[in-house]
Amino acid sequence: MGGKCPHRRVKKRRLANKSARRAKFLVKGDDAVYEDLQKPEDERKPLPIDEDLPGMGQFYCLHCDRYFANISIRDEHFQTKRHKKRVKQMQGPAPHTQLDAELAAGMGMPDNGPKLQDTIFSMSF
Amino acid sequence: MRLEKCWFCSSTIYPGHGIQYVRNDCKIFRFCRSKCHKNFKMKRNPRKVKWTKAYRKLHGKELTKDTTFEFERRRNRPERYDRNVVQNTLKAIKKIEEVRVSREAKLWENRMKGNKAKQIKEDARELEQGIHLIKAPLAMQEEPGLTLPTKAEKMKVKVSISKQQKEHSMEE
Repeated sequence: MGGKCPHRRVKKRRLANKSARRAKFLVKGDDAVYEDLQKPEDERKPLPIDEDLPGMGQFYCLHCDRYFANISIRDEHFQTKRHKKRVKQMQGPAPHTQLDAELAAGMGMPDNGPKLQDTIFSMSF
Repeated sequence: MRLEKCWFCSSTIYPGHGIQYVRNDCKIFRFCRSKCHKNFKMKRNPRKVKWTKAYRKLHGKELTKDTTFEFERRRNRPERYDRNVVQNTLKAIKKIEEVRVSREAKLWENRMKGNKAKQIKEDARELEQGIHLIKAPLAMQEEPGLTLPTKAEKMKVKVSISKQQKEHSMEE
């Protein structure tokens, strides 16, 4: 029963592919990053300490959604072409959203009707 | 029941069609077909893909700001049923559609306005530049039978395929 267990190397290769694919899937969407960047500085959440992330999750690049081991590596990342490209992209127009798709399809802005609060107040008085 | 719009191409998604993707931040992405879903997975920007509505609107290929677009909306408060309102709405739908179609046709006409003149100009230039390919310049000098047509006279070439040729092509 059972076969030969794959070599460590083989397992590594398989897992490496899987983790790479997983990472690609887990990366934050453009619109989510853009929304975070639009928020004022003090409204952003402080970085929680997470043992599983590099550098306990303390060195984070908001634009690229990446964690770094320490501050010097993060600063090095800020100098890279990839990061600069990303910053430039995030300064541009807002990413496409469902609302944009609906407006392009010939729909108007969403209609929520009159405010409910007013009707309740007028009924109570 | 709602007729949703595709996130990528903005087409209508009827119940039972397409696929829906809910991201881990609760954002819902709906796609009308696998083509749109695949393009989304490839992280393509609908504003840069020529066949999407977003692209066509952005580049002035279709009506953008129009009063006929004010009727279809995502209404988050249900309307109370009223027979008269329904009747009037059904009547209005037809009329609005007519108006929209006529406006679209007008826009298309305006877009295509200068195309014919441009094409004729380009063709004339091509003929002028490429006439030596049909007849050698030296032969043209000797016998100026084949000249460029002036604007006043129009060239008409009769195309006739002989019966034999036709049969030959059929065999092939």
